[in-house]
Amino acid sequence: MSRIGSSHKPRHFKRNLEAYAYLAPAGIILLVFWCAPAVFSVFVSFTNWHGGDAIADVKWVGLENYRMAFHDQRFFKTLWNTVNYVIWSVPLTLILSLSVALLLTLKIRGMALFRTAFFLPYVTTWVAVSILWSYIFQQNFGLANCFLEFLDKHLHLGVGPLKWLNEPRGVIEMAATWMGQRLGLLSGDQTVDFKHPLLEGPSLAMFSIIITSVWRDTGYFMLIFIAGLNEIDPTYYEAAEIDGAGPWTRFRHITLPLLSPVSFFLLVVAMIGAFKVYVPMMIMTPGGGPSGTTSTLVYFLYEEGFMSWRLGYASAIAYVLFVIILAMTLLQNKVIGGKVHYE
Amino acid sequence: MSISTLTLLVILFLDLLCWVWVAARGIRRRSWKTLGHTAAYHALGAATAIMILPFYWMVATSLKDFESANRPVPTWLPLGTKYYAPPPPAQPDEVSMPRPGEVSMPRPGEVSMPRPGEVSAAANRSAGPGGSVAHGSVAEGSTAVGEIEVGLIRAGNLTWSEIRRKDSVVVAPVKRLQDQSAYYTVKGSDVRRERRPQWRNYVEAWNAPAKGNPENPVTFTRYFWVSGVTSLLTTLGTLITSILAAYAFAKMQFRGRNLLFYLVLATMMVPGQVLLIPNFLILSALPDYSFGLRWLDNYPALVVPWLASVFGIFMLRQFFRGIPDELWDAAQIDGAGRFRYLWRVMLPLSKPAVITLGLFAFLGEWNSLLWPLIVTTSPDMRTLMVGLQTFNEEMSGNSHLLMAAATIAVLPVVLLFFVLQRFFVAGLSRTGFK
Repeated sequence: MSRIGSSHKPRHFKRNLEAYAYLAPAGIILLVFWCAPAVFSVFVSFTNWHGGDAIADVKWVGLENYRMAFHDQRFFKTLWNTVNYVIWSVPLTLILSLSVALLLTLKIRGMALFRTAFFLPYVTTWVAVSILWSYIFQQNFGLANCFLEFLDKHLHLGVGPLKWLNEPRGVIEMAATWMGQRLGLLSGDQTVDFKHPLLEGPSLAMFSIIITSVWRDTGYFMLIFIAGLNEIDPTYYEAAEIDGAGPWTRFRHITLPLLSPVSFFLLVVAMIGAFKVYVPMMIMTPGGGPSGTTSTLVYFLYEEGFMSWRLGYASAIAYVLFVIILAMTLLQNKVIGGKVHYE
Repeated sequence: MSISTLTLLVILFLDLLCWVWVAARGIRRRSWKTLGHTAAYHALGAATAIMILPFYWMVATSLKDFESANRPVPTWLPLGTKYYAPPPPAQPDEVSMPRPGEVSMPRPGEVSMPRPGEVSAAANRSAGPGGSVAHGSVAEGSTAVGEIEVGLIRAGNLTWSEIRRKDSVVVAPVKRLQDQSAYYTVKGSDVRRERRPQWRNYVEAWNAPAKGNPENPVTFTRYFWVSGVTSLLTTLGTLITSILAAYAFAKMQFRGRNLLFYLVLATMMVPGQVLLIPNFLILSALPDYSFGLRWLDNYPALVVPWLASVFGIFMLRQFFRGIPDELWDAAQIDGAGRFRYLWRVMLPLSKPAVITLGLFAFLGEWNSLLWPLIVTTSPDMRTLMVGLQTFNEEMSGNSHLLMAAATIAVLPVVLLFFVLQRFFVAGLSRTGFK
């Protein structure tokens, strides 16, 4: 019964009003504290607002903040740190959690116990866990160096105590140096120096934080993988077994494709979350880490906006972060999204 | 060979036996399933150990004392150690100022030998009832006659048996560890150690924030209170606003429904970090007592921006759509209004989803660090997370206290997890789809 102009009739008015009344509480909060600020932030990023300025003193500077970001060495270093974090933590977490999920589908006894044990690190608050791990990575009396010493004593690896959260050298560089020394390619004091930040890998400090994050997030992703694995129809496996497919072939041609929607979802979620990480950095390496190697985008944002009070610049950084996340998500959608197998 | 290496070897040997037995069975029965399962158990067991070990380490360290927590050779047992040793030999000037618990020993060649009466008088003056003397403080736990509590100097890398076997160990009374003039040596075998879990670390950690701030003494009680109040309020707010809005989107027809819903979806895309600065500016621009409340550095600033959640609206809408409309038709015939229907019919049917949303809203606010850090400055408005972070900065080096604080912070959420495990798992698995 949709005649033209029917929506102006009084009976629809009452219905609309009722609906708006239900939407109002959420609507007001969302409008004032989500939508308006999102737009307001764009305007702030076009100004040179410093904290404490009266509104009259704020000047419009157009794209100057964005231009400044493009020329800011610290910003690029921060960006590179964040990219490093994403590149290492996301694949490691996904692979580990998928492996554990696969093991847990074998339907062995005590599955629930294992599941709880794996999920426990994710449940505990990140701040407390960061404090715990900064103690584990303590140079002089942390578990990590104690473990290395144990390995050195019994396996003669020759790695020696590491500086962990205070070590600015890249992990790949350090690994190459160690291998070179073991293989006799380098004399005692020589170190490998790649001289190009792109090849060094994340600093050991950043890598320690990555280890902590992987430890924490594996349980969460494992749960979702388990849910995804349980959805796969077992008749596929039975049919494949009858046809003589071995376990690896079954994995490659049945599990992976049917798991791809979940994997893709997790990949996107993990990536977005990893770009926004800041808690372990703030707790374990306050002040940006050794040589500024653990300063991530959100930490940089907090530093610029609420410690240096350059609110305009910080707003610009926030929007750059937004654009990066959006671009990466769209890119992933385009490149990998096509390969996702939907039932 | 130390005990830990021995234990490790025994475990490895038993493990090897296990493998051999399973492999033998597998060969006999021509089935490799058990072998595969054993391998799986091993892998899972090792991985589980890696997951759980840090937690054990956290609790164990919280029960140690400062010295045990910071030894280069860590101990595995959750025990704090106290060392006791015979007191230092008396110095000439100490006969007149006896240290508590000490018996002043006459040294050979000393001209004036203290007469028995004097010795007991000196001893009595110091070790009176309660043992308190004006100039010094009582050594805690001084038990056997003449023993005082000491700290070991330069013994960090030695195990206890090595210490016992040494000819001389440098010690100093526990209250004077920084004072080089108080160092003295005793035989290794004269040192006694007492090990027990230091539960008082928890009390000390709980009250520690107050020490740094005498004008505004704030302890973890306040931190828990602030976190609890803000989390509860935001959870209530999120539930109420999300239920109402989701019901409207799911079951009502109104003008602009699709448009508004796309607006909600678009809002979900914006990362929260973009909103930090403008929200802060809005709140700091509010004059005091807008709407009758003080906003910044107070509960309203912490709570109000999070009273609605796009994720909540989205999730509940999906759930509500799954409830058939026939129920509404039936209710309408019985004369029920929309709100009555929502309250009496839809909510009871949606209990799992609502509880899950409530749980995640609670945890989201409980765990948030950045926003409370931005809008609060005074110590008595710190949430638990902010309090923990300040504690970490102030107490760095006091590993036993840090671990105690971390355990205190972790315990409530872990307990909540065990009680509501179903909802945790179900809620997270559900977010994996759509």
